Parts: sequence; C-alpha cells; structure tokens
Amino acid sequence: MRYAPVILVGRIVRVLARWRKPGGGSAVPGLVVNRLAPGFLSSVLNGFPDGLVIVSGSSGKSTTTKMLVAALRAHGVAVFTNQSTANISQGLTSALLEEVSLSGRIRGDMAVLEMDEGHGALISATLNPRVVALTNVMVDQIDRFHDSDMVVAMLARIANRASGTVVINADDASLTGLADHLDGPAAVARYGVTAEILAQNPRGLGYSVTASERMPPADGILLTTVSGRSASVLIGGASFDLDLPARGVHYAVDALTAIAAARAALGDRFDAATACAAVSTIPPVFGRGEIVTVRGHRVEFVLVQNPASFQLNVDSLEPGLDQVLVAIGSDVRDPSYFWPVDTSGLGRVLIASGSKAHDIALQLAYDGVVVDRIEPDLGRALDDFLALPDPEHGIKTIIFSADSMRRTRAHLGLASNREG
Amino acid sequence: MRALTILSVLPELLDTNGDAANARVLAQRARWAGFEATIVPVSSLDDLPSRVDAIVIGSGNDSDLVAARDLLAPLVNALRGWTTAGVPVLAVGTGWELLSWGVELADGSVVDGLGLVAGRAVPLAERATDDLVVESGFGRLVGFENHARGYVGAEASTLGRVLTGVGNGAKTEGLRMGSFLGTHLHGPVLARNPGLADHILSAAVTRAGGVYVRSERAAAVDAIAEAATAVVVSSLSLAADA
Repeated sequence: MRYAPVILVGRIVRVLARWRKPGGGSAVPGLVVNRLAPGFLSSVLNGFPDGLVIVSGSSGKSTTTKMLVAALRAHGVAVFTNQSTANISQGLTSALLEEVSLSGRIRGDMAVLEMDEGHGALISATLNPRVVALTNVMVDQIDRFHDSDMVVAMLARIANRASGTVVINADDASLTGLADHLDGPAAVARYGVTAEILAQNPRGLGYSVTASERMPPADGILLTTVSGRSASVLIGGASFDLDLPARGVHYAVDALTAIAAARAALGDRFDAATACAAVSTIPPVFGRGEIVTVRGHRVEFVLVQNPASFQLNVDSLEPGLDQVLVAIGSDVRDPSYFWPVDTSGLGRVLIASGSKAHDIALQLAYDGVVVDRIEPDLGRALDDFLALPDPEHGIKTIIFSADSMRRTRAHLGLASNREG
Repeated sequence: MRALTILSVLPELLDTNGDAANARVLAQRARWAGFEATIVPVSSLDDLPSRVDAIVIGSGNDSDLVAARDLLAPLVNALRGWTTAGVPVLAVGTGWELLSWGVELADGSVVDGLGLVAGRAVPLAERATDDLVVESGFGRLVGFENHARGYVGAEASTLGRVLTGVGNGAKTEGLRMGSFLGTHLHGPVLARNPGLADHILSAAVTRAGGVYVRSERAAAVDAIAEAATAVVVSSLSLAADA
C-alpha cells in the first residue's frame, strides 16, 4: 500500500484536470505523481508476475508492439500495454493511474511497452525488463537524435537492463554490434531476412548500416518470402504463413520481430502456429497503407516517418499514379530530413501541402517530379483533392508525415489513434 | 562545351543530412540550363576523373570521423590542386572540418585534419540545432544547422555574418577561401539558396568553356525555394528583405 496516497492524489488531479479541460489534461496527473513519488512508475511496471517486455528502436515499434500483444494474448497471457503513443513517462504514469489498484498493482500477467528510444533510455535505469526487443536503427528524428551513434547508445542502455533476452534484428549491423557488447546478463535472440528478400529491395531495408551477412536459418526466426500482403517465416525448421496488415517488407519484418519477442517472452509455452495466426489478425495501423473511403472516394493513406520508410513507400507504390497528395507538417523540423530520399518514382504530385509544403515541393522539383500546386493549407488541399473525380489510374493516394496525418484525420472526421 | 563533372566526395560516409543532394542540385540546374552534367561519387584515388568542374563534400557521423579522414587523405593532393586552380568546392559540416587543421572533440582528443584550409573545429558549449540565417556575399542564406562544434582560426575569411543561429560561434558562419566554401548549413543548402548554387555553377560552367544563364525552369523552382525560406524568415521575425 506504499503508493496508495499518491495514487489517490493522482486520481484527484485527474478528475480536476478533466473538469478544467474535458477530454484533456492526460499528462498532468502523471506529472504530479512522478513528482510526489518518483518510484511509482517503475514499481508498478516491475511488478508483473511474468515480467516486463520493452519494444524499442527507430521504426516499426507501434506495429510490432500490437502484433506482440496479439501473439501473447493468443497464448492466454493477460497483457497490460500502452495503447496509445503515450510513451513518455508522464503519459505512461497517467495511463497506469487508470488501471492501478491502491496496492500499486495492475491486473495482468505481463506488461508490453513500446518505448521511444530517447525516453526509454531515460526511464529504463529503474526498470527490470525480462525481454527487450529492438526493431532497427534508422537515421530518424534528426532534431533530437543527431546521429545513429546516439540512437545505438540509447538502445544499449535499454538492452543492458534486460534480465532474460535481448531480441535483435540480425540484418541491422548497429544492433548486431550492440548485441556483441551487452553488459547485462541477457541472452540474445535473432531474426532476419534471406539474401533473396534483401535482393528484392535494392535500396536495402532502410537501416543505418545493413549487416554484411545474412543470418543462418538455425540462428533465429527467418523471413523467407514476402509478396504483397503475404509472407512466410521459418521457425525451428518449419515454415509458417503470415498475413500482413499492409503491403511492404517492413510490415513482414515487424511481424518477425513480434514473433521472435513472443518466443523469448513465452519460452516453452510458445507455439509458432498460434503466434503466426495471431500476428496475422492485426488491422492496419492508422495511416500506414490504410485504405479508407472518404466522401465517396477510396483513398490510400501512406505514413512516412523517416527517410527509410519514405523511400520504401515510394518504391512500393504502384507506378504512374494519377492523383497523389503529399503533406509534410511541422513534425519535420529540419527540411533536410527527407533529402536522402529519391522521390522521382512519384512522377507527378497534384498537391504539395502541410506547413512544409514548399520544402517538400522543392525536393520533388529537383527529383524531376511535376508538382501541379503548392497549398500549405491542408484543409483546403484535402477538400480540393477529394473533390476531384476518381483517378483514371490507381487510387487517390495521400502521403503524409505524422503531424499531417493527425490533421488529415481530424479534418475528415476520421477516428484517430488515441494520442497519435 | 564539354559535359560538367561534379564530384561527390565519400557520399556513403558523408551524407547524414542529405548533403550529397547538393551535387544533385548543381547537376539539375546545369541540365535545366542546357548543359550535360555527370555526378561522380568518389571514395578512392581510382575513382577520380581527369577533369573536375565542381566538388561537393557532406557531413557524417562523429564515429566515422577517423575513417572518413583516412579515406580523404589520399585524395587531398588532388583536391588541393583543383582548389588552387579555382574549382569551386562546397564542404558541409564534418567534411569541411576534416579538410581544416583539425577537429577538437568534447573529450579533449583531437582528430588531425588534412590542412587544405585554415582554421579548426572546436567544441561548442552546447549543440546547435535550429534554423541558421546568414548574411553573406551571396545574399541571405537560410538553412538548418545541427552540430556540436564551432570553427576558429579563419575569422578573416568567413562566409558571412550570423543573423540567427550559432554557425562558427562569435556571430560568424562558414569559411570562404578562394573557391572553397565551408558551411554548417546542412542538407540541401544549394536548393534553398539558389544564389549560392549559381555562384558555384557559374564558376563550373566557365571552367568547362561555357556561359551559365539561369534557366526558366530553375527560376520557377527558385520561387518555391524563396517561399520555403520566407516561412523560416517570417517565423524568426527577420525583416523580409534585410
């Protein structure tokens, strides 16, 4: 009952915050509780009987976390997870306050948390995860993490906390290097793709440094084929089929990460067929290869979060699309960020929009892409884009950064991820 | 006139912020003006072409500083020859630092530079990550900086005066020494600042025996660049036409 008083205070603050601003104020109770009782967050998270699993890395965390939770639940494990992208400590504490008992425990066998590498490194010092699963290291969020070395150092701090297993992407040389120098007691589990799959992606899979050799099949879970929304994996010598939430090899690798993490978390209880079936049920994460019907038109949403995902998405779009809108918002602080991407495959873009409309239009122009119109006002751009008759070729396609995705969904009245 | 050859030096190590895109910008503007242009990526002596009209070097990760310096070392004599002969060079971030006298790291150690240009990189009190606006001989330059070191020892020959941001420190930014330009403005600095791009391109075209005139297509693209930088300038509340 050590934290009972502070839990009560947090709940009172939550009520007050909601009176003041209905539906809002979600980080405030967490802020107050973390100030009053700095040990609360780690105490709760370290208290699950089957331990804590942390998913981190540059890209693919959200999809991997959802897939992993589905795989664990399919094995009968009661899982607590952070539903939203509330992955900073205040937000997480506020989320915990919703479910925690006055004794400071949360119902559930296991916790699975998605952690941003920066915040994860900050709060991980007090956490005792059993499994840490790492997705990849990409040059990401350039403002905060100035280069991939810094990202690797932050991920190493999280990985060194693992008591059981660190699950790594064997194709990402930054992560194989990290695994070779682990300080902690954890074993290393691996997953990777075949040489054929790598060869199908001539620009690579987007990792900051791709490992020079492919993982031998006996060393871990291997992705053997990807085609459209289907994939197959080799687990312990047997092949299993997967359905992916959307087209793209990165979703197959997310599934691979989730299956490898589930195997590490479940040990003897792991059943490959159960895990693969559960991972195949994941609906597309909002905004990533998602097809929606808006104002009578079918529209494909494509979220680009970093140069690597931008490149993979441009390369996987159907060639010769008639109607493409690209919207880049204020989340892309540094306009240099996307310049390593070769956007020439887009051919023609009807509207460049978002607060960085001119910057993305400038890049498209130098890549030889025809940009018909630059309209920084995203609402107006969306209205005009959707008012056009259906394209003669392909589907209306909106490529957006996370900030523009939120604004697009809000403008069109579509449901959104809880916080992002 | 013969085709332009634009050297992109160590693009595999020195392209953290898309700085290698500067070679793409020069080549596109040349093509739009009716010239042929080829970008030659260079990482060893064997890659060096016999004639070069412009040279672009980008910025890399600090963990690759020594590796990049060691790869650059055999190329320095050729780079020195071209710089002396007036070939325009644009060097960004660590690419510039490695061609200086040396790079002082935060832990007190020093990575010896290759001595092509005067001055050296020294640690800043804190990392500079934000918009950088510079008043220069090529007009006002607008870009983004993201670096942990400033630059000293070349105060008499900077690229310009800092209007907002950090640059070299002490309110100056960059280095201009003959045809060599060093800057902390990373990424597509030439796309956002076409005046600087055309200064480099004019020198390159003249060397190749032609006369550069900005194309209509470049003028249209430059209007986009102007709108993009105007957003930055107005958010910084700098006078629009200072």
